[in-house]
Amino acid sequence: MLKAENVTKSYNGAEVLKSVSLEVKDGEFVVILGASGSGKSTLLSVLSGLEHADSGNVEYNGENLTHMNDKQLTDFRKREVGFIFQQYYLLSHMSVENNVKMCADLVKNKDFKKIISAVGLEDKLKSKPSQLSGGEQQRVCIARALAKNPNILFLDEPTGALDEKTGREVLDYIVRLHKTQGFTMIMVTHNANIADMAQTVIKMNSGVITETHSNSSQKTAYEIGW
Amino acid sequence: MVISLKDSLKLIGVSVVCVCAVFVCTFMLSFYIDILPLEDTITDEYTRVLYDAQKATAQVCAVITGGVLGIIAVVMLIFYIKLYIDSHAKQLGIIKATGYSNIRIAAKFWVFGLSVFIGCALGFIGGYASTPIIYEGLRIEGISEIAVHFHVELLFGLVFAPAVIFSCIACGYAYFALRCPVMQLMRGKTAKIKDKPQKTGKDKSFLKEMCLKTIFSKKSIVFFVAFACFCFGSMMQMGLSMENLTSATMGYMILIIGVVLAVVTMFMAVTTLINSNFKNISIMKACGYSLKDCALAVLGGYVPFALLGFGLGTAYQFGLLQIMINIVFADVGEVPEYTFNVPVFFLTLGIFIVCYAVVMAYYTLRINRISVKEVMLEN
Repeated sequence: MLKAENVTKSYNGAEVLKSVSLEVKDGEFVVILGASGSGKSTLLSVLSGLEHADSGNVEYNGENLTHMNDKQLTDFRKREVGFIFQQYYLLSHMSVENNVKMCADLVKNKDFKKIISAVGLEDKLKSKPSQLSGGEQQRVCIARALAKNPNILFLDEPTGALDEKTGREVLDYIVRLHKTQGFTMIMVTHNANIADMAQTVIKMNSGVITETHSNSSQKTAYEIGW
Repeated sequence: MVISLKDSLKLIGVSVVCVCAVFVCTFMLSFYIDILPLEDTITDEYTRVLYDAQKATAQVCAVITGGVLGIIAVVMLIFYIKLYIDSHAKQLGIIKATGYSNIRIAAKFWVFGLSVFIGCALGFIGGYASTPIIYEGLRIEGISEIAVHFHVELLFGLVFAPAVIFSCIACGYAYFALRCPVMQLMRGKTAKIKDKPQKTGKDKSFLKEMCLKTIFSKKSIVFFVAFACFCFGSMMQMGLSMENLTSATMGYMILIIGVVLAVVTMFMAVTTLINSNFKNISIMKACGYSLKDCALAVLGGYVPFALLGFGLGTAYQFGLLQIMINIVFADVGEVPEYTFNVPVFFLTLGIFIVCYAVVMAYYTLRINRISVKEVMLEN
């Protein structure tokens, strides 16, 4: 279980997170919804161990992230966390294979090519990111995140740079993986329609959680509006 | 226009190389010009041999220093302009899209010649101010005191001409670099991606692969790292080994120039390396790679090239001093025998290893400060 208690975070004197508390159960799919500047990406950074909270506690299965030093946080991310970013952040001078190998090597996963095949890029193994479309780059990013078999997957606007058709395909693929592999999934988005796919929706505004609700039934990527 | 005078001032590496080159060339060429009229006053054969040897030394030093450092300055300038165009590709693409021609945009790159002008001017002032001390050190027995004169042709040839030539090179290179489609520039790309067939070899680990790709994606950095170590190895050993061959002042001057060149070039190269791998490092850190792994992947691959540069520098200084003694001073008696200076070699190697480790430690600390959050905020 991932638990945040009274988490605050400021940048240059501006309080971006104001006493945020939440709980995410193992295997749950949570969407954090909010407009630009609401603090949702900062919350994702703090929950995933990319940076420390100024105050409050973040706990994952009894481990307190707040008191970890940089080395311990690095080890936590290595063991537990996968990331999918809006801007992909692929290594531009390396092939698809090497981009995925980056995470596979961390956990000595020799079968990473199966994941590349699963995202439909087996014929692009040796291509560079600049030779791929936006959708293909996002699929490399997905394969990279999954190559280390994460227990929690953090997604920051994963469809933000994609067109509707590709966006739906990517979301559909991620949700199917979530169901089969059972990892916890925390997605940050400003697209309210995507929230219909999640089990739990957390709404944020100006650094505070304004609403948390559970969806009794989840829509698929092809059922939601865009 | 995206190019400003401030951009020119960032080319501190080029300026420092120009300072060193023009500094040496100024006093050596001044010396050469100032001793020419004294030829008629020489009466004995021994003094004439010494005179010819000093004249040849001045020529050789000016040509080698000016030539080698001039080429390095051109390579550095082109390297900087390429970096500038790469990092400003989107803005340059927008300017092209609005109707500016390649020539009109390239013409603005003349400002990069200013860094050369500043460097050359400082080198000239320093060189001219040092001439009395240098003349004293190079004084030939049997010849009356050499008077210091100001040579306007040197001012033109060593300050104004290089500034104009480098401005032209900057504009010319920019013109060729900008000859790519507008859309390609607007997407932030300046070179076509070569679809090379992938070599099928033994599977390497990600870190080894990253290390190799980092080296081969920016070969110019390999050159600058090797050059910095070459300067350090050659000029420090030359400066310390020349004690018996020339004045101590000359030796220290060579040593200082070598260290300054090495430090500036090394910092320029590694700063560029870290900046161009900023996103790669941050994503590696986000995924869980340790600081040691990130540092090894980005910086580790340059060690063999650094050692190669040091080795070549050692051989170069030994070869150059041998040539000076066996060819230039061949007819001069009482020139001390020169053999490879083993203690100086080990002393320089020791200092080199410590300095290299300190530089790498400094950049490892810089890597430690990079966070993925910064990259996310950039977009």
